[in-house]
Amino acid sequence: MSTLKVNKLRDTAGSADAITLDPNGGAVLAGVTTVTSVKVGAAVTISESGIEASGIGITCASINGAQIGGRRNLVINGAMNIAQRGTSSTTAGMYTVDRFTYAWSGQDEAPTQAQVDVSSGTTPYTEGFRKAYKVTNGNQTSGAGASDLLYFEHHMEAQDLANCGWNYTSSSSFITLSFWVKSSVSQDFKGYVRTPDGSSHTYAYSTGTLSADTWTKITKTIPGNSNLTIDNNTGQGFQIYLWPYIGTTYTDAGVTEDAWTSYTSSARTPVSATSWWTTNDATFEITGVQLEVGSQATPFEHRSFGEELALCQRYYYRMQNGSSSAYWVAPITAYGSSTNVAMIFLPVCMRDNPTLETSTTASHFSLWGNGTVENLSSVPTLRGSNAINPQVIPIDISHSITAGDSRILRAGSESYIAFSSEL
Amino acid sequence: MAYPTNPIYKLKNDSITGELNCILKVEGSTNLSIPIAEGNTDYQTYLAWVAEGNTAEAAD
Repeated sequence: MSTLKVNKLRDTAGSADAITLDPNGGAVLAGVTTVTSVKVGAAVTISESGIEASGIGITCASINGAQIGGRRNLVINGAMNIAQRGTSSTTAGMYTVDRFTYAWSGQDEAPTQAQVDVSSGTTPYTEGFRKAYKVTNGNQTSGAGASDLLYFEHHMEAQDLANCGWNYTSSSSFITLSFWVKSSVSQDFKGYVRTPDGSSHTYAYSTGTLSADTWTKITKTIPGNSNLTIDNNTGQGFQIYLWPYIGTTYTDAGVTEDAWTSYTSSARTPVSATSWWTTNDATFEITGVQLEVGSQATPFEHRSFGEELALCQRYYYRMQNGSSSAYWVAPITAYGSSTNVAMIFLPVCMRDNPTLETSTTASHFSLWGNGTVENLSSVPTLRGSNAINPQVIPIDISHSITAGDSRILRAGSESYIAFSSEL
Repeated sequence: MAYPTNPIYKLKNDSITGELNCILKVEGSTNLSIPIAEGNTDYQTYLAWVAEGNTAEAAD
């Protein structure tokens, strides 16, 4: 055994030292390329498959520049699993999937929005997505009008953005939007995110040209900007838009994508292609919407159905029976003079005092008690003059009952009661 | 035409106090009772409608 004593090693054709030896026994390597793997002691193996650390802890300051664990996805119902209102509608607005909207205007024939299944075998399916939010175009016989539009929209509560850890006024702090999208028409689609507080700003983006009928994952890393304002309150603080079609009334060729600019209604995105809008029964689907702090799109954060439903119920809660029989709603107490109050306790505290929504047929609601079941002659209404706690809601029931008596409010299977505090 | 077509809103008073209780609206097959609450977006839409010079039908 002999010892080779040198200070540095360099390839005969190299111009820089590859290894510098330390007098205390260490070595500094300019670069390491391994054929198989590197082992550190008995516990750590680094290979092209990743890092395996068996039986030891890992200490790090952050992952993706943000919190290490816990909730990452700021979007509620990004997997489109919750649809309290229904699964299909030809009305523009929030009528199917919770927290998301397809809106349209200028149509000759109304599009259809729906919660649909993700086909097995597709990449979204293999990544755990079972539902998507789909719009099917109508027959727009008059072509692509300047004021025609159809967009996908998601509004987020300001305080959730203000407290998420994104330093939104710093250009070196990032938030990342990612989603899966599929169109039956090959086209580049326009979108933007918007901060409505203060001086409203938008950040335009595009999907690039999508291959027809092919799921594509879109990722947009968005920096902060010193002009942004996001209030720490319960109002709208961040909006996500994606447009299957946006007419020229709302576009401008001079809009720069991937940059923040002051919001201008007539210059929201660059000019949009028209193929999708002018194709009868064209389809557009989206799922896996995630917005997270940091510059990288991490895998989608799947949450349980119950957890996601509870998050949605901060904005909308619907009581409706899934069977053919009537269901119990709430106990009521008679004040007298046909004034009665039902107290409904909501499962979560809503964002703000909610609007009461009911189906329109009064006789579908009834009062049970005192040996009878009596149908109502007017639908329940909100008792708004009491200071409403957004979790305990008084409802006015107009019906002749002896003061001090009690009944139970029932609703027929075809009727519903809902509370809305949407953004 | 009268409520719910024109005007599209109707006021509803508290049957006990007589004070404004909520604002009623019909949207398709849905009855809405809108609270007097600044953060409620349906109430914000109602206020914008009033700001355009419209007036809701008076309470019964």
